[in-house]
Amino acid sequence: MVLILLVAIWQLSCWLFEIPKWLLPAPSEIWLEGITGWGNYRSHLVSTVKLSFMGLLIGSGVGIIIAVTLHSLPKLREAFYPIIILTQNIPIIVLAPLLVIWFGFGMLPKIIVITLVCFFPITVAALDGFRHTTAELTHYMKMAGASKKQIFWKVEWPYALPSLFSGLKIAATYSVMGAVISEWLGAKEGIGVFMTLASSSFRTDRVFVAIFLIMILSLIFFALISSLEKIIVKWKPKGEGKN
Amino acid sequence: MENITKSFEGNKVLEELSFHVNEGEFVTIVGPSGSGKSTLFHLIGGLYTPDSGDIRMDGERMNGQRGAISYTPQSPSLLPWRTVLDNILLSGEINGEKYELEALRMIERAGLKGYEQAYPSELSGGMQQRVSFIRSLMSPQSLICLDEPFSSLDEFTRMEMQNWLLSIWEENKRSILMVTHHIEEALYLSDRIIVLSGKPAKIKKEFSIPFPRPRQESIILSDEFLQWKRNIYNELRGT
Repeated sequence: MVLILLVAIWQLSCWLFEIPKWLLPAPSEIWLEGITGWGNYRSHLVSTVKLSFMGLLIGSGVGIIIAVTLHSLPKLREAFYPIIILTQNIPIIVLAPLLVIWFGFGMLPKIIVITLVCFFPITVAALDGFRHTTAELTHYMKMAGASKKQIFWKVEWPYALPSLFSGLKIAATYSVMGAVISEWLGAKEGIGVFMTLASSSFRTDRVFVAIFLIMILSLIFFALISSLEKIIVKWKPKGEGKN
Repeated sequence: MENITKSFEGNKVLEELSFHVNEGEFVTIVGPSGSGKSTLFHLIGGLYTPDSGDIRMDGERMNGQRGAISYTPQSPSLLPWRTVLDNILLSGEINGEKYELEALRMIERAGLKGYEQAYPSELSGGMQQRVSFIRSLMSPQSLICLDEPFSSLDEFTRMEMQNWLLSIWEENKRSILMVTHHIEEALYLSDRIIVLSGKPAKIKKEFSIPFPRPRQESIILSDEFLQWKRNIYNELRGT
């Protein structure tokens, strides 16, 4: 509702104040460009989807591996946790050109950028999940003679799944952003490229099309992860109401 | 248990504790709260090693050895993402075995038929505790340790659960070591009762309970039962 209202206000003000199209196009014009320009940006869209999907996959893999490693080796966690936080303090915009200098214009630097953006929420969420496993469950497992490995796979891992998925959802939306940023730096195709081209030729309507594409893409990724979560996590953690 | 002593940071918690559980016997330890009952279980479970003394099972020394007993904790501690059946199979899984048919039979015996595929959150407290107990029954170890298994239940459910436990146990005759602070519960269920003193825990007295088995619920109102209760109560109070 609020969204519809906002769009309506936007549309009306464009008409009333006769704002030039290159400054702020009306939603109707963006919509029109979105439909008629499909052929222009289709290949860009496909390449961004591929890139962000791959990045998300690799990023989550790296994130989970880091979380599991740090969890099973508490000393390592103490040593590396601050470093992991530091990696998030480096602005990606600054880091990305460096990566291009080191690794060229291929896939590698782009995947690295997305991985850097994606792994963090996953690692933090998973680590929290592992650590907050109810003490009584681990206590029972220990008394029953379970090995560390059994405790991990039978208790800690399933216990951490819901929070792992929260991390994945954040990472999924970040991955699209990461992909677009990495495309700005140098790519033949992608929404990022489409966006730069559009803004340098004052096709503001196309810039907005790109923005909406990014938003829609993020939402789709988010929805995919959510449905995956519904399939895998069939139980509700305590405190959450039953659906 | 032979001459077990255990201290934490200089505080002696258990002192020269010696007792045993015979095959197929139901032994209960009662003691004031904070008398080191859980420490005792942690020692038997192998989470800690005693400072001195030996824990033996079937003659074998098992200090600090895990997985030698089957354990029913105070709270049901069921894995919320597993169904009743899968939770019961867990104890076998830890030991690398799966007895699905046997588990299904036990579930039926426990009056939980139809709940095999239910999740723990859908069960009442008493039912969860039953599942937890069947889980330890399904474990292959010969000694079952019950850690105040009924303390979280209300009085009616507690009585019901005690009867249920007795009926299941009388069928299976496993060795049970229970810890509780509920004197009536100890009297009603056990063959022997060991009374512990407060810190550091020592064995104050051991009682053999003569009530015949199978136990009738009516005994808890008999004069003899109340006399026993008085004796143990006085022993606990140290008078």
